[in-house]
Amino acid sequence: MKDLTRKKIDSATIITGAIVIAVLLASFIAEQFMPATSMLFTVLKKSATYALVAVSMNLLNGFTGIFSLGQAGFMLLGAYTYGIFTIPVAERMNVYQYYNGGLVQFVVPWYVAMLLAGLVAAFFAFLIGLPVLRLKSDYLAIASLGFAEIIRALFQWDKLGPITNGSNMLRLFPSFNDFNIRNASGEVVVYLDTLVPLLITTLCVGIIVLLINSTFGRALKAIRDDEIAAEAMGIRLASHKRLAFCVSSFFAGVGGAMLAMYQATVQANGFTTIMTYEILLIVVIGGIGSVTGSCLSAFLFVAASEWWLRFLDQKQMLGNFEVPLLRNGFRRVVFSIIIMVVVLFFRRGIMGTKELPDLIRGFKNRRRKEAASK
Amino acid sequence: MKKVLALVLTMLLVLSAAAMAETVKIGVFEPATGANGAGGKQETLGMQYANQETKTVEIGGTEYDVELVYADNASDNTQATSAAQKLVSEGVSVVLGSYGSGVSIAGSETFKNADTPAIGVTCTNPQVTAGNSHYFRVCFLDPFQGTVLANYAYKELGVTTAYCLGELGNDYDQGLVTYFKQAFEGLGGTVFAESFPKDTQDFTSYLTNAEALSAEVFFCPVSIDYAVKIIEQASSQGKTFPILGGDTLDSNMVSNAAKGTSVKVVVTTFYQEGANETFDNGFKAWLAEDAEALTNNGGNDIIAGVTAMGYDAYYVALEALKAAGSTDPKAVMEALPAVTYDGVSGHIEFDETGDAVRTTAYVKTVNNETGDWEFVTEQTVG
Repeated sequence: MKDLTRKKIDSATIITGAIVIAVLLASFIAEQFMPATSMLFTVLKKSATYALVAVSMNLLNGFTGIFSLGQAGFMLLGAYTYGIFTIPVAERMNVYQYYNGGLVQFVVPWYVAMLLAGLVAAFFAFLIGLPVLRLKSDYLAIASLGFAEIIRALFQWDKLGPITNGSNMLRLFPSFNDFNIRNASGEVVVYLDTLVPLLITTLCVGIIVLLINSTFGRALKAIRDDEIAAEAMGIRLASHKRLAFCVSSFFAGVGGAMLAMYQATVQANGFTTIMTYEILLIVVIGGIGSVTGSCLSAFLFVAASEWWLRFLDQKQMLGNFEVPLLRNGFRRVVFSIIIMVVVLFFRRGIMGTKELPDLIRGFKNRRRKEAASK
Repeated sequence: MKKVLALVLTMLLVLSAAAMAETVKIGVFEPATGANGAGGKQETLGMQYANQETKTVEIGGTEYDVELVYADNASDNTQATSAAQKLVSEGVSVVLGSYGSGVSIAGSETFKNADTPAIGVTCTNPQVTAGNSHYFRVCFLDPFQGTVLANYAYKELGVTTAYCLGELGNDYDQGLVTYFKQAFEGLGGTVFAESFPKDTQDFTSYLTNAEALSAEVFFCPVSIDYAVKIIEQASSQGKTFPILGGDTLDSNMVSNAAKGTSVKVVVTTFYQEGANETFDNGFKAWLAEDAEALTNNGGNDIIAGVTAMGYDAYYVALEALKAAGSTDPKAVMEALPAVTYDGVSGHIEFDETGDAVRTTAYVKTVNNETGDWEFVTEQTVG
């Protein structure tokens, strides 16, 4: 019998690692030589953020079978934690203009704030997990959705203004652009503003992948497939689910902090249910239960909605012929239709439950079979 | 199919490249969808009208065609960043917009990194221009507007108790309420302030509260949709206090809601129809010809304050281009602080923050019989 408990590092895994490194390298090189105003980098930054949150959601929905819709709430917690702890003290009077500079009067480095962002989100996940995780399927989804809405309203409450700045936005904290290395006269020498978010996402997704392939991860998959059978085999449902929920929220919190860095501003108003649905859509399009799928579809989703389809918003002339229908707002229509087509005809998403190494292995096996039949 | 598609796309590319000769691009950073879509479209109309009125500009001795490049920020801070990036990547020389201060602040960072100047048209939050050198603005600010409204309520309406209502999480509403409160209490009045959650449909409890607190004026600087509901419900409850609002309420949808009721609606705004006959008539004639523009204006030809501001902002941008003598965004940014222009909404020049120096706001009210806006007074705060 094959040893199931320990996977050997096969060539497919190595090739996958090489592909990831190649992508990172390519983006680094592109960043140095392409104009910094190119849309590609904006899209890469945003999709890195969304990919992380989508993978964290996938950990719950795809690998544990917990249907949670609280992602926007946890992102909000992460984004605010990051913002609150990193706005330079000198700028606080400007930002907290209605609250006398706010209560928090110190800063922590960005990586500490990012870690804190994850921890705060995980802590809240633990708290609300206590009652909420007793619920199943739809009820859990409704409860987590409600949680996200409550958190949003709470952060906008003006009594909390000295901390959260009430209805006003947080800004002036370090954003991705601050990672660029500048010389004394302020000119950028080395561009890092795209590489850093990609690296953060790679690191976090890497941790999640290791987790999924561990004993813990296999226990989660067992819970997903059949709770009763899993329990009968000695898996503690409550603690496993709670841990999965906290881990997922931790990374959603980190993703929230990344979103804050990407936007350079944070306002609770933006973290609506629509944001959760966008991420759910990414997970579904990529394939529920596929990390590769979530990353791929995050890029495709962001690129299509923010970049490739933007030309639909502008009138286009072909010679003297004006292309009909193209005007402001039409992009949204086309985008919705594309999504409907994808959901109708690719029900299992781009990747199904397959990962990149699986594809490489499949490709190899096919070649081997072809060679054998000759 | 692929071949045809590739061919069409290449042709588009070639055509746009051919059209690029001697063209200066002005970015239109406005919401066309989302909560502020209606307002953003009306503001864009002003720019479009100005663009078809003055299609070219002479920069450094060469005649350039002016091309407006649109990016829909969807009234959403996340999309604002990429919309701003789209404009920057298209190489615009200057950006106009946006309706809504939140998206302007969100897009600001992108413009700053690309050294592209932006001219805010009706974003009234002080934070848009504070502490940066690339964002300018042609309208007045919330502290000014809040003070004007408080003065008007206290001195002209003669009331001493005010009730303020803003949307929770909306910095525009909350900011204006804060400034109104400061000014009104400074004059010696009493203010009660409350917030309602997003997407509220039923405002009757807030209206009842206001009455229970014996408020004599109801100040609600909210988005158009909410304002319409508040007016309708105040009317059906037979409330007698006047409803006061900021520049967002200056919309034909609000005046339509007040038509045929006995609710008194008073707003401050940037421009009053009739202040400039040539602009009014020209704009109306343009609307009559262009069905799409008419739809974007809400189906009738009442001129919104934001349209006049969009019109002025376009000409300010042209002045800046002329003064810069180049289409380089950096040169335009350096030229902007010194630009002065006499627009339909008054004289425009910038102070050291980059805000237009404005001392006057127009106060207008709805005629309850005809549903038209009527000019009340010009309120000045020194």
